Amino acid sequence: MNIRIITSVYSPRFPSTITYMLQASEYQSEPYLKWLWRTVDFSGVARRRTLKRTAKARMLEIFLAVGMLIEILAGLALIFYGALSGYNAWAWEIGAALLIAYPFIWSHLVVLPLEFGRALIVEPKLNKQVKTAKTIYRNHPGVKIAVAGSYGKTTMKELLKTVLSEGLKVKATVANKNVLSEHAKFAKSLNGDEEVLIIEYGEGAPGDVKRFAFNTHPTHGIITGLAPAHLNQYKTLEAAGADIFSLGEYLKGENVYVNHESPPVKAYVKPGYVTYGPEGVGKWQVSEVNLSIDGVSFSLSDGKTKLNLNSKLLGKHQIGALSLAAVIGLELGLTRDQVIAGVAKGEPFMHRMQPYELAGARVIDDTYNGNIEGIRAGTALLRELSARRKIYVTPGLVDQGQDTKRIHNLMGEFIASAKPDLVVLMRNSVTGFIKDGLKRSGYKGEIQIVDDPLSFYEHLDQLVAAGDLVLMQNDWTDNYA
Amino acid sequence: MKKLAVAVIFGSRSTEHDVSIITAISSVIRPLELSGKYIVYPVYIDKGGRWFSDPELASIELYTKGNLDGFLSRLKPLQLKMNGRFELVWPGLRPKSVKIDVAFPATHGTHGEDGELMGLLEMANVAYVGCDMPASAVAMDKALCKTIALSEGILTPKYVWFYSIDFSRDNNAVLSKLSELKYPLFVKPVHLGSSIAIARVSNPKELINAIEVAAHYDDKVLVEEAVNDLIEVTVPIIGNDKLQVALVEQPLLKSQDFFDFDSKYLHGGKKTGGGKDVSQGYSKLPADLPSKLYKEAEATALAVYKAIGCSGIARVDLLIDGKTKKVYFNEVNPLPGSLYAHNWRAKGLSNVKLVDELIDLALERHKSYSKLATGFKSSYLKQY
Repeated sequence: MNIRIITSVYSPRFPSTITYMLQASEYQSEPYLKWLWRTVDFSGVARRRTLKRTAKARMLEIFLAVGMLIEILAGLALIFYGALSGYNAWAWEIGAALLIAYPFIWSHLVVLPLEFGRALIVEPKLNKQVKTAKTIYRNHPGVKIAVAGSYGKTTMKELLKTVLSEGLKVKATVANKNVLSEHAKFAKSLNGDEEVLIIEYGEGAPGDVKRFAFNTHPTHGIITGLAPAHLNQYKTLEAAGADIFSLGEYLKGENVYVNHESPPVKAYVKPGYVTYGPEGVGKWQVSEVNLSIDGVSFSLSDGKTKLNLNSKLLGKHQIGALSLAAVIGLELGLTRDQVIAGVAKGEPFMHRMQPYELAGARVIDDTYNGNIEGIRAGTALLRELSARRKIYVTPGLVDQGQDTKRIHNLMGEFIASAKPDLVVLMRNSVTGFIKDGLKRSGYKGEIQIVDDPLSFYEHLDQLVAAGDLVLMQNDWTDNYA
Repeated sequence: MKKLAVAVIFGSRSTEHDVSIITAISSVIRPLELSGKYIVYPVYIDKGGRWFSDPELASIELYTKGNLDGFLSRLKPLQLKMNGRFELVWPGLRPKSVKIDVAFPATHGTHGEDGELMGLLEMANVAYVGCDMPASAVAMDKALCKTIALSEGILTPKYVWFYSIDFSRDNNAVLSKLSELKYPLFVKPVHLGSSIAIARVSNPKELINAIEVAAHYDDKVLVEEAVNDLIEVTVPIIGNDKLQVALVEQPLLKSQDFFDFDSKYLHGGKKTGGGKDVSQGYSKLPADLPSKLYKEAEATALAVYKAIGCSGIARVDLLIDGKTKKVYFNEVNPLPGSLYAHNWRAKGLSNVKLVDELIDLALERHKSYSKLATGFKSSYLKQY
């Protein structure tokens, strides 16, 4: 074993490294401890990001540094005492043990203030906030649209907000702040005069969606799709599906919209649910589809009314969401022109099929995409677009549980179907599975395995040239590497 | 697949020392590392001519933050071993050595780009990137280049060259020779690149001053007539036998101006602002030329590349008379600053692909040179 690896725990930077690991694990003890226990070399932990010294992070860093320092001083004092008192063996041994063990002790002790803080302060405060929020939501007179699903929630929510805002007073949860505590904060920010509320449901463990629905009292529900995600908690896709579709049960089948482009949802669709996808929404049919790197255009018609819609969102899979936003807009009283204008205003969202130009190349940043359905949609777009050279970049997907191998084999097959000239994979535990999928599909292009993802992303301009098209899907935080 | 060991050699005793650091770090070392195919050894030659190699030497901060001397004082100068192969040797109690598969010279100007380094690498029997020793030496002599170009029927502005010492001994004789030329004139040190000490003059007084400046930097000085209604273009080329031309690039300057060192490197070519992205933002890519003239510029550049005997990479600078549409050869640069990577990117070749291709070209040429017979049976020694 390299001496650098052994000494990395005794580095003066160790408290910062531990704080970084906690921060990257969102201060959750379980993923942090799992990461801690499997890490051998702590000198190379922070590859993708650096520690953000927030008040919380600074407090933990100081806690660790002070704790370690006290232990070191105690160890030295004991050794010193042992030397002065005629080579007292127990003092030497305990002193040495303290000096050797301090990084291991404090990297574990650090979870205690977090857990105590959560149990004694955060949880009681949250319970109180949730109770208040529940009342606010119940009494709110506006239309309350809940957006749930394994993927595509934020895009659907933002799109809906953009379209409905053309004629209604709309308020939506911010970015991907989509859990109970954030719903409570959102409720607190409401004035009561909003005509539409859009609330994103970020499921993470069984029962989450049901709990969100009972707290926020939605009148409408959108289920954007079902795919293997958070399987470390849900264990099976069926368990995730049952939780996500509890939204439909809460609404008793009324005003429930389901994206049936996602194959696994079919088992959960009940009579009365309105399905949507690239072919349309319920009775509204899509035609005259045109896809390009600059967006998508199509027509939407119910036989009486026809809307010609243009959007800067990328990919065929966006047509379903765009159509649904248009149809809900019309149902809530927007005019035709307002709907057309609203759909046209929809911009690609940060890191979600977001195109930009780099060194003359076109890059599609889909690094917030973390599920196989998103991979299917992205690779389908890459296949359809023309370019001098196509490059596909991914580290793979996280939290795929027992399905990890199968999903990544499938991912390799999707990538191969897009026929990129170069596939760039970040070296990690799933790289081999993706390569197997590529091989199985007869992929003939170049495969590059990258050891330093941060350097790769930072210097992407060196890898591309005019006429290149790069699709980057998903990015792993360091705790998954 | 085994990774090739590549030594990127930069710095050296040259007025273009600092430009070389930028070329090496931004346009060579970084893309070589990103390709994942090579083990890269940065080899820095300091202004005193000492060679060093350390991974830290690939960090631009080392040079920009002014702590280079302190860092170098902690290193032992590198030693070179040439026993039929090229090895870098880090001396010490337990010396470490590594065999280099390909050398990548990223030096500009004297003691590097001028063929000296290439001669050393030839002797070491190692593949190296860029023009070989004879082509590098010729390309660095602007007067010799023009003579060769003329002999190949390539147009060049009317010029006169002389040794600096002749001017200091008898400037009247030199000025008399120069009286054949029509103002405005350009005065250039023959061997320097990056437009250092080049001046445009309109009268005898300015001419003498400019010659004195040029003679301060070089032992040979070139004076040539300016081209009227000037369109200046530059054409990057890579290849050994099969050549690839990048885009014909047109610097955005007025006809009476020319590309000096500050324009090229200190202001990013914009005359104002920072210059992080070297050689970008000051030119039209591709040049705004009629199709026929554009093709003629490409053809002239290719003819020069071949006439000089370039291989690997070079950039040919041309002068076009906007009225007569005549294309003149100006000079050739055997190692363009930052490899002119911005131009190749616009052409469709990424920085990583560019260095990759240059390494392949170096190996290809080395292989072909290795096939040449270096022995000849004779009875010469027996007769002695």
